Amino acid sequence: MSQSVRITVDGVEVQVEPGATVLTAATTAGIAVPTLCHEARVDPMGSCRMCLVEIEGQRRLQPSCAFPASDGMVVHTDSGRVRRHRRVLLSMYLADHELDEDGLPKERGTGNRLRQHVLEHGTGPTLPPIAADRSYREDDNPYVHFDPEACILCNLCVRYCDEVEAVSAITLANRGSHTTIATADQRSLLDTSCELCGGCIAVCPTGAMTERPALGLDWRREEKIRTTCNFCGVGCQLDLHVADDRIVRITSPEPGRTVNDGNLCVKGRFAYEFVHHDDRLTTPLIRGGDGELRPASWPEALAAAAAGLLGVKERHGADALGFVSSSRCTGEENYLVQKLARAAFGTNNCHQCAAT
Amino acid sequence: MERKGARRERILELLEEHGGLREGVAAAISAETGVPEADVYGVATFYTLVSRPGVGVRICQGLTCKLAGADARAAELQGHGVDHEWVSCLGRCDRAPVALDPELELIPWGARGAISPDDPELPMNLGGADDASYRALARARGIGAAQVIEQLRAAGLQGRGGAGFPAHIKWSAVRGEADPVRYVVVNADESEPGTFKDREILLRRPHLLIEGAAIAAWVVGASIVYVYIRGEFTDARRSLEAALEAAAPHLDGIEIRIVAGHGAYICGEETALLEAIEGRRGMPRLKPPYPTRSGLWGKPTLMNNVETLACVPSILLRGGDWFQSWGRDEPGSKLYCLSGHVARPGVYELPLGVTLDELVEAGGGYVGTPRAFSPGGAASGFLPISERSRPLDMGGLAAAGSMLGSAGVVVLNDTVDMAQAARWQAIFFQDESCGQCAPCRIGCSLQRRSLDRWIDDRDPATLQHVEEIHWEMEEGSICGLGMTASLPLVTAMRHFPEDFRSQR
Repeated sequence: MSQSVRITVDGVEVQVEPGATVLTAATTAGIAVPTLCHEARVDPMGSCRMCLVEIEGQRRLQPSCAFPASDGMVVHTDSGRVRRHRRVLLSMYLADHELDEDGLPKERGTGNRLRQHVLEHGTGPTLPPIAADRSYREDDNPYVHFDPEACILCNLCVRYCDEVEAVSAITLANRGSHTTIATADQRSLLDTSCELCGGCIAVCPTGAMTERPALGLDWRREEKIRTTCNFCGVGCQLDLHVADDRIVRITSPEPGRTVNDGNLCVKGRFAYEFVHHDDRLTTPLIRGGDGELRPASWPEALAAAAAGLLGVKERHGADALGFVSSSRCTGEENYLVQKLARAAFGTNNCHQCAAT
Repeated sequence: MERKGARRERILELLEEHGGLREGVAAAISAETGVPEADVYGVATFYTLVSRPGVGVRICQGLTCKLAGADARAAELQGHGVDHEWVSCLGRCDRAPVALDPELELIPWGARGAISPDDPELPMNLGGADDASYRALARARGIGAAQVIEQLRAAGLQGRGGAGFPAHIKWSAVRGEADPVRYVVVNADESEPGTFKDREILLRRPHLLIEGAAIAAWVVGASIVYVYIRGEFTDARRSLEAALEAAAPHLDGIEIRIVAGHGAYICGEETALLEAIEGRRGMPRLKPPYPTRSGLWGKPTLMNNVETLACVPSILLRGGDWFQSWGRDEPGSKLYCLSGHVARPGVYELPLGVTLDELVEAGGGYVGTPRAFSPGGAASGFLPISERSRPLDMGGLAAAGSMLGSAGVVVLNDTVDMAQAARWQAIFFQDESCGQCAPCRIGCSLQRRSLDRWIDDRDPATLQHVEEIHWEMEEGSICGLGMTASLPLVTAMRHFPEDFRSQR
């Protein structure tokens, strides 16, 4: 391993691996540098300009998210120049963003980091809205909502879609103040390579991309409950957002903490309507001799199932039985199904629908 | 994510073949290149020559063309029912007002601009016959690469595109890189309003450029040279193509490829230009790394402006010291582009560091009473005519808070409202900002808006934050466009406060 790099950030000397960025060094030193377009899973772009810092020997302010730390480097993240830069930059962002009645960036999705930065770092002059002319897209997809007026063009959604998911359904389009996030020929996401994984929503710092079913909901009222996704065997961790005893949104735990590394698929993120659906079965049903299903208790249902299965075994042998479990089951549940097949009924005829 | 082996660099030429971006074209090009469809669409929408097919006549709305009555010409066309669209500076300010037909050919409204009279002593001598002997290339091979670089150092040749970086340092840097694959890229994407010197080299002395580029390739060890030429320069491109045929026998394995631009001023910025050649949106890269280390396709790349390379043959034939002595406080001769309120707009080769008065004298004198000038393209802002005796060189203009830039000198007489002049420049920067970084994208719009409000409502409050926005654009932008885009407005307010006062 090559030697580590010693760098001083706001007077704190830290050591980082060669190739680490100034931002990583600042984080190591316990110093928070505000960012908007930074995400560890994608290459730095350095375009939001929020993380600019002063580096001794550099004439210009530099983006800490992309600038490599080097031995002996001295960095200032809180100088008068950096503070002034942050305030005026935030003023400019406000001139290109939908504001609430308090003049703050409107809250959307699971929070607006631009709003947090404004509250924390303050702003400079009050500037008039630039009313940029951006093209809109009619999009009838049920899950991903995009509001160009809340977009700061950090390009994280595009980079995530390309670099992490390798789906590349969206792009930066047009130029200058007309720049926006678009699909090819501005089609609905349903008519693109989009898999509706919703990762664009997860990485969006301002809530310009939001879950359409959760539009307008107040995320502060939501309680997060960690669970394991049961749509397949991967074991993705989910945070169910619950308000008034209903799931209103599903997100992934932050990247780097769980097996899914911040990612979800369309089922994990959006297929939760069944939980509260009217058609959902909430009690076992037993089909009577007349062919009709009638509600039963669990002991009754289990007894009826056991009797039926044992009857087949007695009449035709254990191998007349086959057990197929669901991809909705967890690994543990699948284990139990094969245990049931082999130990309780004595057959190796067991399968799982996702195992083809 | 693009397919392995994707032919991204073909996207823009394919868009041209398909007649521009129409529904379904992105999908077809995606299939042909292996680049995702959305990505192709994003690239296409960046470049004005392919993003909106079917544009009729393009009329230049640059400062000089507006001064020369472009509005009246547009009204005339309108009267004849001709479809037209306003576009950014077309780089022919010497024959303003200017328009291009739908095939991007010049509509011959005005006479061709002037040039310095034929004088064999001039290093570039635009008025002389083009020399296709390639003696300088042979001489370079004779004296060796190290000696060529030494002559450039002695000549004191600085980049003529605007930044003024010493040529010999760039050449040495690329030559010294470890990677054996290197490229030479010629920046012929001349688009700075007021600037049209590279166009004249390409039209009149293309062999000067080809020879300079071939010498550069030989010195740094590159076998391919890319010439990225402005898409609207159809005449200059034809001239270069014809000259390349004649040059081929002399180039000895050095291949020169022409890549046409597709309508984006920002691609004159060196890293945006590289992105354009690679088939991406022309958004400048973060620096470092610099192109000398990681340029085209990540390889060491020497990028020089057309004029810089056109100086090289005479430096090798007559010596670095000879070239150096051409200048006054700074070395060499310089192609100055002169337009606006002068008698004979054109390109004049003069010692680097002449004054405005000397330059305008070469151009036949002022028209009307001069009041202001922009010394080096839109990004240099405006200076009052009281600066007429200042040397037009890098140091002299930097000391006045301006810059030599591309040496696109525009003279404005006392009939011009400087707020209006600043607005024309602000419109240019707003239209040409790539939109990547917030300070430039939002700042250009804010400054434009301030000017609109001032001109329409004469409310001084609309101008109160101009300096602060300019400060942030200068501090926070990724590239030079954003850093300087406010200068026309800021300098107009600084030097001509009477045009920004309510009681007039």
